[in-house]
Amino acid sequence: MKVLIKSAKIIDVNSKNNNKILDVLIDDGKIIKISKNISEKASTVFTESNLHISTGWMDLHSNFREPGFEYKDDLKTGIKSAIKGGFTSVLLMPQTEPVIDSKAHTQYIYNNTKESIIDVLTTSAITKGIKGNEIVEMHDLNAVCCRVFTDDKKSLDRTEVMKIALLYSKDLDGLIMNFANDKSISNNGKMNEGVTSTNLGLKGISNIAEEIMVDRDINLAKYTEGNLHLSYISAKESVNKIKRAKKEGVNITADVSINNLVMTDEMVKTFDTHYKVLPPLRTEKDNTELIKGLKNGTIDVICSDHSPEDNENKKTEFDNAAFGILGLESMFGLIGKHLSKDLTLEEIIEKISTNPRKIALKQKLKIEEGEIANITLFNPDVEWELTKSDIKSKSDNTPFIGEKLKGKAVAIYNNKQFVVIE
Amino acid sequence: MSELSVNHLLGIKNLQREDIELIFKTADNFKRIINQPIKKVPTLRDITIANLFFENSTRTKLSFELAEKRLSADVINFSSSSSSVKKGETLVDTVNNILAMKVDMVVIRHPNPGAAEFLSRNVKATIVNAGDGAHEHPTQALLDSFSIRERLSQVKGKKVVIIGDVLHSRVALSNIHCLQKLGAEVAVCGPSTLIPKFINSLGVHHYSDLKKALNWCDVANVLRIQLERQDVNYFPSLREYSMVYGVNKEILDSLEKEIVVMHPGPINRGVELSSDLADSDFAIILDQVENGVAIRMAVMYLLAGKLKK
Repeated sequence: MKVLIKSAKIIDVNSKNNNKILDVLIDDGKIIKISKNISEKASTVFTESNLHISTGWMDLHSNFREPGFEYKDDLKTGIKSAIKGGFTSVLLMPQTEPVIDSKAHTQYIYNNTKESIIDVLTTSAITKGIKGNEIVEMHDLNAVCCRVFTDDKKSLDRTEVMKIALLYSKDLDGLIMNFANDKSISNNGKMNEGVTSTNLGLKGISNIAEEIMVDRDINLAKYTEGNLHLSYISAKESVNKIKRAKKEGVNITADVSINNLVMTDEMVKTFDTHYKVLPPLRTEKDNTELIKGLKNGTIDVICSDHSPEDNENKKTEFDNAAFGILGLESMFGLIGKHLSKDLTLEEIIEKISTNPRKIALKQKLKIEEGEIANITLFNPDVEWELTKSDIKSKSDNTPFIGEKLKGKAVAIYNNKQFVVIE
Repeated sequence: MSELSVNHLLGIKNLQREDIELIFKTADNFKRIINQPIKKVPTLRDITIANLFFENSTRTKLSFELAEKRLSADVINFSSSSSSVKKGETLVDTVNNILAMKVDMVVIRHPNPGAAEFLSRNVKATIVNAGDGAHEHPTQALLDSFSIRERLSQVKGKKVVIIGDVLHSRVALSNIHCLQKLGAEVAVCGPSTLIPKFINSLGVHHYSDLKKALNWCDVANVLRIQLERQDVNYFPSLREYSMVYGVNKEILDSLEKEIVVMHPGPINRGVELSSDLADSDFAIILDQVENGVAIRMAVMYLLAGKLKK
């Protein structure tokens, strides 16, 4: 099946075609021709105003909740959310029931998603059952293409286990991701510690809960020379620490969740559980530093932290509500709305496509002839309102319904399939 | 102003100064009434009030119940530890079940901050917050300020220090809002481990020296040290706490002026407050208790007035 994309502006700093408006012809999963006015016949010809093309977007932190929490979401609906958001690849977090911590579990995910247009990749927990004690069978998992390990929101507390994980994974060139959150300090915190938490009497999670563990993890990465990725950076001081470490040559990368770029803790002021998320929403000052960190390359990736939660877990007292916000459907539109003045389109694509793929898969895609066709087509300037029908997840825990967003994916091509996004 | 600007009493934060003054004026009348031979008025004869206490309380519950009965309301009581409720029925379900029996007003005490506000958005009844976690305890703050007004003739311009565990205290937060709205200056005093890091954002100074704090103030509101709310040891021992932050007669006698001592109760005698002081003329602790009933009558009377409309 040949697909011809007409007059698309190519956004790909790694391609010689960057910033050119060209036709792109795809056949059997490969880009076979890029030039002006391709006249070859194709079964699908796609054209759209202000069309842009980039390598397929990848989300570094998604939760599809299957197995175990199918009442919140499952692999099928998760894939629909990813398509809606313009992603061609997602990396799933291991906090399912049972926890993804063995080959059998990753195989389950693979077998149930292999026909999809979306590459549904999964991490494994670092430790068995995410209990923080014994590391998983990393070689065995790596043999089935699972090279990223994380205990995700649980954070790996035990320093010696973290050290062992970084050392052991090095032998298979695996990647250890950690969410820096010292639970002995943030213990039971419900939101950012600040003026708002003081006013609401809610237990605060201070910036230092993150900073202390960022320091620890950087030291461990330095010592072990393992591959470390710091997830969901939210505190301004962490950005400086990572910047310094990178300058010193420590092998680390980092991401930030879209939530921590576009919202602040003040939004919690009516105890609205839509804004209960981990890491907590911080302050304008933190957000500004995070954006600077993206701009200067300290932070490599923007992730959606897509976390479906059902009504029973959200429509309850703030203390008892679950952490988490949906992310896939709204991420690009939020970036366009809030960050397009700070980041160029090329930089944005780097943060949501090039870098996540490089970090998680060590893979480099290009919009060039002969390359694999894994692409996202989008309009970066279109303004649109997020409605309930745009949410493809089984859950609807997002504060952005009714919000005007800017920029939207219009189609994706991957795994020899082409889907026009409704 | 003849009616409140709010339909629920969720926190002092949501009140205007005029609301507080209206509550005080109404409470003045009720205080007169409860000191008459016939203490009861028929004002809320057709109103049913549910007291839902998801956390232990003795005096607040008694005070509310008494206030309701003196107003001739029909009263039902429900007590449960939050954990057993959490496991089964949700809070909204529990309350809706009770409301289905035609209840007009709900007085709620709950361990989660924001629980009252959450209910006000999700159930059809007038909500009175009787304490939600470390968030607010509005009727306590109202009766505290009412008691200061009674003793010192006005609240405006007075200096009030709140002493003790401010971090875990809903009384402190409500008091800060209430006193500031009425024009008083507020400070807090206690070990830094028990003071929120961002307390300055509320326009409140932190004294770590008790003597300095007492010399500064006109009123000392001494909080109960709530060991049950602490997950780690915020101070090494009650002995040391009472040595450094315990308020006693000796310190008060050494001050340059006479101050008023308050306590929301129940007192840990010999810990945050010495017995001789608690029983002395400095203390207005029992006045606070008496005023509590009048204040709660006023609040429920005013809210019921809005209900009828």
